[in-house]
Amino acid sequence: MKKKLLSTILAVAMTMTALVGCGETKAPAASNDSAESTEASSEAAEVTETAEPVEDVEISFYTTETGKDQMFQDIIADFESKNPGIHVEYIAAGDDQLQQWMALYSSNEGPTVSLMDPINIWENQERMLEYTGMSFVDNIEPSALSTMTFDGKVYAVPQTAAGVGLLYNKAVCDAAVGGDFDPSSIKTRSDLEDLFKKIEATGVDATCFTGVNWSLGSHYLCQAYGAAIGTTEERVAYVNSIIAGETKEIDNDVFNGYMDTFDMMAKYNHNAADPLVGDVNIDAAALAAGECGTWFMGDWAWTFLGPIVTEGQEFGLLPIPHSDDANDPLNQSIATSFAKGYCVDKSQNTEAQQAAGLKFVEYITSDSYAEEQMAKVCGQALPYKNATVEIESPLGLSTANYIANGKTYDFYGTPNLCPSDIWYECGAYMCEYLAGQTDRAELAAKIDEYWSHQEAR
Amino acid sequence: MAKNFGKKIKNIGIFAGFGLPATIIWASVVLIPFIYGIWITFTDWNGLAIDINYVGVQNYLEVFTDSTFVTAFFKTVIYAFFTVIASNLVGFLLALAVTSGIKGQSFFRTGFFTPNIIGGIILGYIWNFIFSYALTTFGKSIGVEWMSTSWLTHPTRALIALIIVSSWQMSGYLMVIYIAGLTNVPKELLEAAYVDGASGFQVVRRVKLPLIKNSTAICIFLSISRTFMSFDMNLSLTAGGPYKSTELIAYKIYQTAFTSMEFGKGQAQAIVLFVIVAIISLLQVYFTRKGVDEQ
Repeated sequence: MKKKLLSTILAVAMTMTALVGCGETKAPAASNDSAESTEASSEAAEVTETAEPVEDVEISFYTTETGKDQMFQDIIADFESKNPGIHVEYIAAGDDQLQQWMALYSSNEGPTVSLMDPINIWENQERMLEYTGMSFVDNIEPSALSTMTFDGKVYAVPQTAAGVGLLYNKAVCDAAVGGDFDPSSIKTRSDLEDLFKKIEATGVDATCFTGVNWSLGSHYLCQAYGAAIGTTEERVAYVNSIIAGETKEIDNDVFNGYMDTFDMMAKYNHNAADPLVGDVNIDAAALAAGECGTWFMGDWAWTFLGPIVTEGQEFGLLPIPHSDDANDPLNQSIATSFAKGYCVDKSQNTEAQQAAGLKFVEYITSDSYAEEQMAKVCGQALPYKNATVEIESPLGLSTANYIANGKTYDFYGTPNLCPSDIWYECGAYMCEYLAGQTDRAELAAKIDEYWSHQEAR
Repeated sequence: MAKNFGKKIKNIGIFAGFGLPATIIWASVVLIPFIYGIWITFTDWNGLAIDINYVGVQNYLEVFTDSTFVTAFFKTVIYAFFTVIASNLVGFLLALAVTSGIKGQSFFRTGFFTPNIIGGIILGYIWNFIFSYALTTFGKSIGVEWMSTSWLTHPTRALIALIIVSSWQMSGYLMVIYIAGLTNVPKELLEAAYVDGASGFQVVRRVKLPLIKNSTAICIFLSISRTFMSFDMNLSLTAGGPYKSTELIAYKIYQTAFTSMEFGKGQAQAIVLFVIVAIISLLQVYFTRKGVDEQ
């Protein structure tokens, strides 16, 4: 009898455990049922920045900006102290920035605020709250909103302005040119090669490629779809013509121009003996130690350089010239990318959470403490009108100088120009090319093949 | 009649008491996600979209016409072939060694099993460092060219590295199964063989191996199914590189679903992998039973 009773109790306990496991875990979130989700969406659309969040609202902040956990946690702590009643759960992405985001949405726990790439926001704009007309958007530099605006509607605000180009160690370049190195003296591919030859003559490797798919596929290759093609409309038309098979990469002067520069740089690569050993920390150390004079990366590399440079060392950014035309302004301009934006979810968060999320976005893009932390840790220019903080990073300062002199161009110009997996797919082809395992014609054909599976932009 | 009905109800109650909780849990974590997964294969869902469109069997057609998936499949076959041989061979030899009565054999058993409990992700990162930096530093210091560059930046050597590390990890696990088989071999038979003048090799070949057929079948099929589903080591050791040359089938599925955001297609690829692994598992059951029947 006792055994029977015990087995009944155990069976009931197990059943209850299983049923509890199936139950709702996050009360404020909307159900995954499509009808209810639609309802939540339509309700959410009415949320405005003026809506006051209810007391003790819990929101979540998902960031794909990795390696800056302490900075975000400090900012969150300051936000919570200034906004009592709002608690922010911090969620940092792992190696794969989309996987965890998708998992959170699948479990009906979509983050209230997400810091994502513009392409990811564009692909999921139906879930995002529209910012158009909200006052905090007025604090953002208008030029920084182009990749966050879809069909005239603003769905996100940018984090920082990232400059992409060749990082240089000034001491190495000074020694090479025998005086004070002037970055504006590099106006063409030939000028850059001359500099490389002079650096090599001092016994230092001229440049360095980090042989990883994201650097070569997303940052180097995607320059070939950018401003050198023309206006945003012309870039979209060009990409669409490749998708339709009407244009081949190998016939395009811009693609060939950037690849000519790539070939030239590969000749002087610090990692030439084993080009695909990609490690940003090791390459940053090589630049800091003067083992190489330049390094293809971006101003975000200060995260790696900052802790290892010695006082007095100077660094800066050089553009990647795509031709030998000294009158081409692009050869003297660097590509700036607003690579990440803050968006607010309206599909799985309540009105109160969305309102709290908007407060958080407003805070992080306008509060002096948040801006100070962002400038100090990220070391990049902030595209906010009220930002008065000084950037400590020489790389960020270099980008800011290019911006001040009007010598920058928007990397993409539109959020959906390049697909979200181009870094992985075409990055692999670029790595293969860098390793000398394929020629340019084959590389171009593979990239054409990749584009042929994409939808028209 | 009423008594029979009451008994039937009681039986159902007892069955429900014991079986229902487990059935509910199993259905929640296996059956429902599986059916949901099959449903996704007929859609164009990207993993996040609210609107989902049906595309029929388009995703399955794309699986078989996608050259990169077919390439990943054949890479997996090559990887599985060599890993299964190496891990079983090493596992069996280790089992022979640690059942031979050598001093400290319990310690060795624990030691060889340890890689299996560390986890593929961590092992992958450790070996990534070894292949990329430790070995190359050593190679450069002694002037050996093939050791001076990373194994992970060359397609063939990267696949070999993947096979080596996977075999090293799995052999300890298989060793345990072989040990179970070897300790069940009757001592009288072994003594009789030695009395008849059999050499050590002959005892292994003619006595031990035939008597551990079940363990061998389990080990071989277990290693085949595990290698076909290998993901963690692939992710942390090579990440499919260099230039996607070591992209195994499970990693390819992951990339399709989470990087290319083609959840429907990725799920269809996963169903194909499921069918392959299910066939392997059924063959294992068949051959294991056959082995039992023959004994």
